[in-house]
Amino acid sequence: MVLFKSSQRMKKLEYGKGSEPCAVLSSSLDETTAGIKQVLGDNDDLVIKSFKVFGQYEAAIFYFSNLVKQDSINHDILKPLMYVPDHLKDRNRPLSQLAELITKETLYHSQAQPEQSMEKVIEFILCGETVLIIDGMEEAIHIGTRNVEKRSISQPETEQVILGPREGFIENIQTNLALLRYRLPTPDFQVKTMKIGRLTQSTAAYCYLKGIADENVVQEVERRLSEIEIDAIMDVGYLEQFIEDNPFSPFPQIQSTERPDKTVANLAEGRVAIFVDGSPFALLVPVVFNQFYQTTEDYSSRFMMGSFVRMARMLALVFSLIFPALYVSFISFNPELLPTEFAIAVAGGRAGVPYPAVVEVLIIEVAMEVLREATVRLPKQVGGALSIVGVLVVGQAAVEAGLASPITVVAIALTTIGSFATPAYSAAFALRMLRFPIMILAGIFGLYGVVIGIIFIFNHMLSLKSFGVPYMAPVSPENYQGMKDVVFRAPLWLMPRRPAFLNSRNRRRLSQSNKRNGFDHE
Amino acid sequence: MENTRPITTYQAAAILISTIIGVGVLPLPLFAVQAGDTGAPLVTLLGMVLGAIGLFILTFLGIRHPEKTIITYSEDIIGKVLGRICSLFVILFFFVLTGLAAREFGEVVVTGVLQETPLEVTVIVMLLLACISCRNAINVFSYIHNFYLPMLVAPVLIVVALSLKNADPLYLRPIIGTNLPHMLFGTLTISALFQGSFIITMIIPFMKNPKKAIKASLFGISISGGLYLLLVIATVAVFGAEEIKQIFWPTLELARTTALPGNVLQRLDVIFLAVWVTAVFTTLFSSYYFTIYSIQQLLHLQDHKMLSCSIFPFVFISAMLPQNLIQMYEFIKFVGRVGLLITILYPGILLIIDFIKNRRRKENASQQT
Amino acid sequence: MRRNKRNLVLLLLFVLLLPLLSGCWDAMEMERRANILAIGIDEASEKEQEKDGEVAHLKKSFQMPNQKLIKVTAQIAIPGRIPLGPDQGGDQKPVLVMSVVGHTLEDALLNLQQQVADELFLGHLRIIVLNENVAKQGTKRLNDFLRRNPEIRRTAALVVSKEAASKYMKLAPDLDRVPSLYLADMVDNLSSLGRFPPSFIGLFWTIYSSKGQEAYLPYLTIKQKDIIELKGLAYFKGDKMVGKTSPLEIGVFMAVKGDSKGGYGAFVHVPGTDQMVMVQVRSRKTKTKIELKNGRPHVRLKVRYECEIDEKESPKVKINDSKVLKSIEKETAKDMRMSIEKLIATTQNAGSDVFGFGEHFRAKLPRYWNRNIKTKENWEAAYQQLTYDVKVDTFIHRVGMKAK
Repeated sequence: MVLFKSSQRMKKLEYGKGSEPCAVLSSSLDETTAGIKQVLGDNDDLVIKSFKVFGQYEAAIFYFSNLVKQDSINHDILKPLMYVPDHLKDRNRPLSQLAELITKETLYHSQAQPEQSMEKVIEFILCGETVLIIDGMEEAIHIGTRNVEKRSISQPETEQVILGPREGFIENIQTNLALLRYRLPTPDFQVKTMKIGRLTQSTAAYCYLKGIADENVVQEVERRLSEIEIDAIMDVGYLEQFIEDNPFSPFPQIQSTERPDKTVANLAEGRVAIFVDGSPFALLVPVVFNQFYQTTEDYSSRFMMGSFVRMARMLALVFSLIFPALYVSFISFNPELLPTEFAIAVAGGRAGVPYPAVVEVLIIEVAMEVLREATVRLPKQVGGALSIVGVLVVGQAAVEAGLASPITVVAIALTTIGSFATPAYSAAFALRMLRFPIMILAGIFGLYGVVIGIIFIFNHMLSLKSFGVPYMAPVSPENYQGMKDVVFRAPLWLMPRRPAFLNSRNRRRLSQSNKRNGFDHE
Repeated sequence: MENTRPITTYQAAAILISTIIGVGVLPLPLFAVQAGDTGAPLVTLLGMVLGAIGLFILTFLGIRHPEKTIITYSEDIIGKVLGRICSLFVILFFFVLTGLAAREFGEVVVTGVLQETPLEVTVIVMLLLACISCRNAINVFSYIHNFYLPMLVAPVLIVVALSLKNADPLYLRPIIGTNLPHMLFGTLTISALFQGSFIITMIIPFMKNPKKAIKASLFGISISGGLYLLLVIATVAVFGAEEIKQIFWPTLELARTTALPGNVLQRLDVIFLAVWVTAVFTTLFSSYYFTIYSIQQLLHLQDHKMLSCSIFPFVFISAMLPQNLIQMYEFIKFVGRVGLLITILYPGILLIIDFIKNRRRKENASQQT
Repeated sequence: MRRNKRNLVLLLLFVLLLPLLSGCWDAMEMERRANILAIGIDEASEKEQEKDGEVAHLKKSFQMPNQKLIKVTAQIAIPGRIPLGPDQGGDQKPVLVMSVVGHTLEDALLNLQQQVADELFLGHLRIIVLNENVAKQGTKRLNDFLRRNPEIRRTAALVVSKEAASKYMKLAPDLDRVPSLYLADMVDNLSSLGRFPPSFIGLFWTIYSSKGQEAYLPYLTIKQKDIIELKGLAYFKGDKMVGKTSPLEIGVFMAVKGDSKGGYGAFVHVPGTDQMVMVQVRSRKTKTKIELKNGRPHVRLKVRYECEIDEKESPKVKINDSKVLKSIEKETAKDMRMSIEKLIATTQNAGSDVFGFGEHFRAKLPRYWNRNIKTKENWEAAYQQLTYDVKVDTFIHRVGMKAK
């Protein structure tokens, strides 16, 4: 709130862009104090503490009381400054050398830097640093005392695994980068940061492995990120919408993840990860569609298990997209396809239902969507109860009231469960959404409509690109090596290369001396 | 960053296969049997060989001019005016082919599955699908063909495999058939089904390695032709030549006779039709793309995307020209045979002239030195 | 970006246009279709002739064909009456049986539609029962409609009945809630049990179309009130039924036809005694060789039976002796040969080549065929002059679990 209050004046200063010449600090303490007060003075949590450095120079420190570590200020800044340290007692302490003396010999703090620009000084204060200004000196010294409350590292809520690491990213970008650094102690791991958002001044970072990631992609990421002009970035999802290739596609073209292990695995394949302060998600680019139904567990478990689970998931994916449409076309268009006994039984079940199958399925589907949204928003304790009430009671009642046939309820239930099996929420959502047009097409043309709808979707997916990489790679354009990791997951030792579609300069994943060597000898 | 020659050999083969396999799959056994009775497989084989000859002529031409399509290199070979006139015929032919394919598709759907649905709607929907997809660049064109390839091959193989249970090898004999001259005439009809291979002229300028186009053609024609052959053998073995003569779409009937083991689905014909939609789409997509791309080349336009929508109504009208199914098939057979002039004879003449010209140029060069 | 926007507009247009254009033309909910499960076709009696519905034609305008009207009895499933899941069945009849008359099947079905609220749907037509008399008059007028209609399953069963076909529609076997399904399942299972060669309507058409063979169908009769029995094989000449065999002769027929699945057994006289043993055929292998003897078609048939003995009549016969077994084998072979020859002779008299020898001639001797035969009619005549010799080998492999 504090920040917002001062927003109007901040705009006048136009931070970060450097369009105006920097106002330089004056050497007078009073003048500088007045200047800072003019910008930040309305805030009650701004602390201005005057004291004398070494008992001889008038000085003041500025900081926001909520953003700093108070102990550190008392012990590491004020104490050494007010009480002259032993090794300095006998020395001459002229004003001209004061800045160096203080940063190098006095303060017990690793992050103390001189700064001359008024604009920067205010920015530092706003970010939670402490600024020391000494009368007569033309530089201010800013000291990194920022201390913001952060939650502890916990299990990622959206991507749970049975076997595998339990860490998830948190909102603090420094912690997130630390989690990556700890897994990638290599000089190739590169982190580049920039500030995005006029108001929020959010730190955005993109990281990649030098020599593995495609330079073109890295430059493209840099370019797209730097083109963003917005006042506030609340989440990494804001960035996603600015940098994705085709915003009108229902399919996500960037993957977001909460898992450091997944991020590292993707970096090692040659992707780029994007972070923003305040968001516990990382964006991974470029992506291909098959990533959205893969989980880290596929790789950490043994390959047969991984492959089997993945195939089940693919089936669920297909189910969630076309099952209701197939149901509609079987019921209303081609009942001759069903075995006679079953067909007659289904007809019996539907006998009392007043609506055509399309309408019936649409009603139940919409109800299901509402229910689902409701359960997401409700507190956990209530949510469980509601879903049971919703599904069991409403479903049962709908059947008994003749609003829907029991088989419809079965079909929709299967579909809904299927859509939960897709690990990536955004991809599952795309299919959930596309289900409706396909259902309508099925209502008009039956099976033929379903196929037309599917062709339409596939054609769209085939024309999509994510940072220059075809979305349906490695299926089309084809790549034999890549196909080992699409429907099933080949053993790790049989996949010696990084995905070809990522154009990484270093293609080898396994080293050639590996004992179980799947290298095709070129 | 964009690669100007993105198409691999495999993709080129895939484009050929999925372009060739199309609407023709359904009436193919009927055409073959009408021509050669029990010799239908032989007729198919001959048709395939004839189609292959045409394809190889085109491939050779393409390799000699790896930067150009037939529209542009014909101008080099036979002169600007004549080349352009011929190109106009080529474009017109593929334009009509697009319309007819859409129409044939519509007829099958309306007769077989959606009896009440107006023919116009099914045709429009299919054409729209092709029209919208044609707005993509050539690399997406090849991705699309590449992607759908397994979906074209699999159902045919499945139906053939399942139907073998009812097959009787006696129906296939005598292999030579009975009426030889009649058979040779029928070969023309069958080879017209391979006309989709003309698309190779458009692909070669985009191939990573144009030299490998021969390989792609070989694969393309042998896989699609093999599939056709398999289909004819299976239908003849199951139904016998006499029964096939009574059925419009023997392939569809084959799917109707086969049930999945375990009675999961009672009949396969609707499923087969549904998957066959994909095959029709890829064929239609190719001829549509070829038409607009060639127009773009002929008129030296910047972009083919705009053309996609503007020729849509005309294609639709041409699709609606035949009055009924019978007339349509007569027309298709006629157009197919006339088309052979364009797809085999014309490139053949081009190749010969090109060859002679080249020779003369070399002789001139050697004489001068 | 601009391109994307245009794509979006196109997509929107596409989606918006569709519902405008459409009206769900073909959507017809399953429960609103009157599913015809079975059709029985009889000759219409004099009285019923009067009931012609005048739906597809006016009485006077229609040039009456010589054929009599047919009576079509259809079994229609009533949605809601056939319960979903087990144990909900009430006492109500699950199907509706209706009879109409007409000149052709289509004509009759149009008449039927006139009387039924829901649209008739033939997609689930599982079985068509032809009365013997109708079959004898020819199936042409039924076939055309069935072949043209895309709803008809090519795998539906076609059978000939001794009694009026309408009776079959009214049967109510206790084994299945839906009577026609019982009937259809029974016919479908015949071939998997080895009781009958594969037979379904599509096969019937295929055989009928081909020049060198004649069609056959199962011949059913009603035993008691609700029990149906396979009574033999009805064989055709062209589209007309010309005769039927005994049930055991079906096995013989399958042997000649080369159907390897054995299912029939027969009592065989044990030489040297007056006792019989039951010899069950497990599988057969048939070789058909054809040739021209003096310019006339000749067939050499070689059948090999693999059998086992299932039962003997009395303890007097010892079948644990390989000599005895050999003699039984010989006796069986002799019996079999005689019955094969008898069956061929019978069909020759009728001029109906159900075995498809003609196909062998067409396939293997095309020159002879093209010069002398060419048409189905010619072959029918030639078949009557066909000469043949039959060789049968029998092997008994097992005698069951009993040692003596």
